[in-house]
Amino acid sequence: MKSKKYLLESEASLTVFEFNSEGLNGIVPKMVEYTETNIPGVFNLGFGDKNLETGEIDDKAVTNNGDSQKVLTTVASSIYAFTSKYPDVWIFATGSTQARTRLYRIGITTNLLEIQDDFEIYGLNEDRWQIFQKGVVYDAFLIKRKSIKL
Amino acid sequence: MKIKELNESKTPIVKITKRLEKYKSKVVFEQKLQEANRILERVGLPENKR
Repeated sequence: MKSKKYLLESEASLTVFEFNSEGLNGIVPKMVEYTETNIPGVFNLGFGDKNLETGEIDDKAVTNNGDSQKVLTTVASSIYAFTSKYPDVWIFATGSTQARTRLYRIGITTNLLEIQDDFEIYGLNEDRWQIFQKGVVYDAFLIKRKSIKL
Repeated sequence: MKIKELNESKTPIVKITKRLEKYKSKVVFEQKLQEANRILERVGLPENKR
């Protein structure tokens, strides 16, 4: 994930992140939130646009700001930040639409070797978790930081 | 840190701001969390990790 990324802001616990997408349609604030699921130690990754006027978050918004790769890299970098503070957690992620899930899959595929250096990554296929493989369509993803090598 | 170094580091520089503290006690992506819980209840974790 050495591609360009935006500067992240967070609060002290590093569970809520915000950054500004800057592109064709101006500045669009984005939010990433890690929320613990009903399974302790498993966190859902939420991601969406923040409406500047209402303050509401929309995870189905299509910004078309011409910077989707940089946005995806920034979201991925928040996973590094979050798991640096909480190295033993699992992160569950799925897109709010099939198109966005596909975008996540392409992003993971493109950076798979680099991601696998640092994370275990699984894809959900026909209700079974399997180690992520290129070319397989997944409904969701599960990510865990590998133990830090000393 | 220079921009080039920022772009090349895996773990990002994170600016801590109190402005985001108000979201800590909220579930912003409620629907997504519910969906995650539904899926995880059905399929659990990978077999060798339970």
